[in-house]
Amino acid sequence: MVTFSERFFGRFVVSAIAAGFVLILLAAGAGAFVFMRTQENADLIAHTLEVEGAVADIRTLTERVEVARRGYLIQPDSRFTTTFEENARLLPDAIARAGMLTSDNPEQRPRVEELKRLSAQQVQILRQSIADRDGADPTAVAERFMNDLSPTAIRTIRDITEAMANEEETLLAERSATQRRDLAISYAVLGLAGAILFVVAGGTIYVVRRNTIELAASRNRLRLMNEDLESMVQERTADLQRANDEIQRFAYIVSHDLRSPLVNVMGFTSELDAATRPLSEMMDRAEAEAPGLVSEDARLAVREDLPEAIGFIRSSTQKMDRLINAILRLSREGRRVITPERLDMNQMLRGIVDSLQHRLVEGGTEITLGPLPTVTSDRVAMEQIFSNLVENAVKYLKPGRPGRITVRGKRQGDRVVFEVQDNGRGIDPKDHERVFDLFRRSGMQDQPGEGIGLAHVRALAYRLGGIIGCESTLDHGATFRLSMPVELNA
Amino acid sequence: MNTPQSVNIVMIEDDEGHARLIEKNIRRAGVTNEIKHFTDGTSALAFLYDAEDGPAKNGPALVLLDLNLPDMSGTDILTRMKSDGPLKRTPVVVLTTTDDKVEIQRCYDLGANVYITKPVNYDSFAQAIRQLGLFLSVIQVPDPELEG
Repeated sequence: MVTFSERFFGRFVVSAIAAGFVLILLAAGAGAFVFMRTQENADLIAHTLEVEGAVADIRTLTERVEVARRGYLIQPDSRFTTTFEENARLLPDAIARAGMLTSDNPEQRPRVEELKRLSAQQVQILRQSIADRDGADPTAVAERFMNDLSPTAIRTIRDITEAMANEEETLLAERSATQRRDLAISYAVLGLAGAILFVVAGGTIYVVRRNTIELAASRNRLRLMNEDLESMVQERTADLQRANDEIQRFAYIVSHDLRSPLVNVMGFTSELDAATRPLSEMMDRAEAEAPGLVSEDARLAVREDLPEAIGFIRSSTQKMDRLINAILRLSREGRRVITPERLDMNQMLRGIVDSLQHRLVEGGTEITLGPLPTVTSDRVAMEQIFSNLVENAVKYLKPGRPGRITVRGKRQGDRVVFEVQDNGRGIDPKDHERVFDLFRRSGMQDQPGEGIGLAHVRALAYRLGGIIGCESTLDHGATFRLSMPVELNA
Repeated sequence: MNTPQSVNIVMIEDDEGHARLIEKNIRRAGVTNEIKHFTDGTSALAFLYDAEDGPAKNGPALVLLDLNLPDMSGTDILTRMKSDGPLKRTPVVVLTTTDDKVEIQRCYDLGANVYITKPVNYDSFAQAIRQLGLFLSVIQVPDPELEG
């Protein structure tokens, strides 16, 4: 559920950002388009104005030529002819310019051609009329003036230029309209892009914000849970510590309170034993001096039953004493302060093996020590663990098979795994847990022991933050594996 | 020089059997002083401080003290005796099953004169008590500081 919404969120944000970029590109495109259009339009307006200017020039020049001719007709003065010739000379250029400017327009081209022809014709007529004025009588000139084609030509020229100007105006209007439409479209695109961008940005911000709030909330929850967990762990640890302390105290008290009566049992057993001696002497004397007084029962009681009973009481109390001492030792070990230090395990194991040298040589047993990692832990506890394990390996070898014992160790992350492997008689799999219980043993009971060693080893391993287990099949040796932290935090 | 007879031995021991064994073995060492036996702390303190023939009012004494008592800890008696008052110089022999180092230290800190762990093995126990008896027969015990 969380994964799904997270995946959805990720996709949404990525696509929103992508959409945002696309929209920005679109807006930029629209802007560029509008800008280009405006530029183009400005050029066109300038062009139109230029055309209009050229057309106006044509008209002005035509009018001037006409005016100059009329002036000359009225008053033949060389200044009029000069003006006439000047303007007549400029006229073709003006027409040519207009032609050039409108060369791309099929509508205007015939008009320019027409204009060129008409203008030339007009100038020709006018020049003729000037020439006529020089030589002829004024009446004929006036008549000719009234009849020549000049006014018609001029009118036509005016119409044409007007048409040209109109044409340009129309073009301009058309282009402006197109541009306005383009502009409108661009604005629409821009507006739309902006709106979508706004929505996308708003949506993204909303989603990011919601996600951030959720994240903060879940972080808070996590922190709370963490704190809860920590306090829970602390509580549990305190509970465990309390329980452990109680067990230690219990073990201590029990072992002490059991010891007291045991002192009595053993003490009075000794008194009894001491008391049998005079009894037995008396029995000797009675047998020697008055055999008739000695009954068979009394003889048996003094000679056999009493010593036997005392012997059993003794051996049992002694055993009980050993067990109580074992509990006491465990309890004391549990209360001992652990002091971690750097331990060269190779050196420690060599020391342990050396102390067993006599027994090893006697049984032809070989011990191989692999390179062992260094650990930081409690020296006494580690020594007890390994001497117990190695001693057990030596103690429970298979008779008639030369013992081969290997001690290995390797680091696994922040833990170390030690293995003590033997080729001895092995442990029945059903007893693998049992051997670690106090006073429990496995297999043939042909070796002395109270079933304390491995219980002690396990208790010590737990105290060092480690665990110990056993792998074995009957008759095929056993491997004891101890996993513990490289560094013990006291 | 004190006559041995004048020194009372006060044995504070809740276990009747232990008391009997201790007494027997002390006697075997040849100690003939009177041994007063108390099985709880209250009556022992009453005797030590208030009884007419008790050590505080009447002559030197030596205390054999067990630490595990039903009504109080032996160390309470030790503290009371050694803190101040007429019995602060009275020798106290702590004779108990506890062999805890901390406990031993604590008793000596409180002013115990001797600390003996009762061996569980009877022979050692008997021997220890007999040796204690020999020790008791030769040590000098000061008179209590009589009040007033």
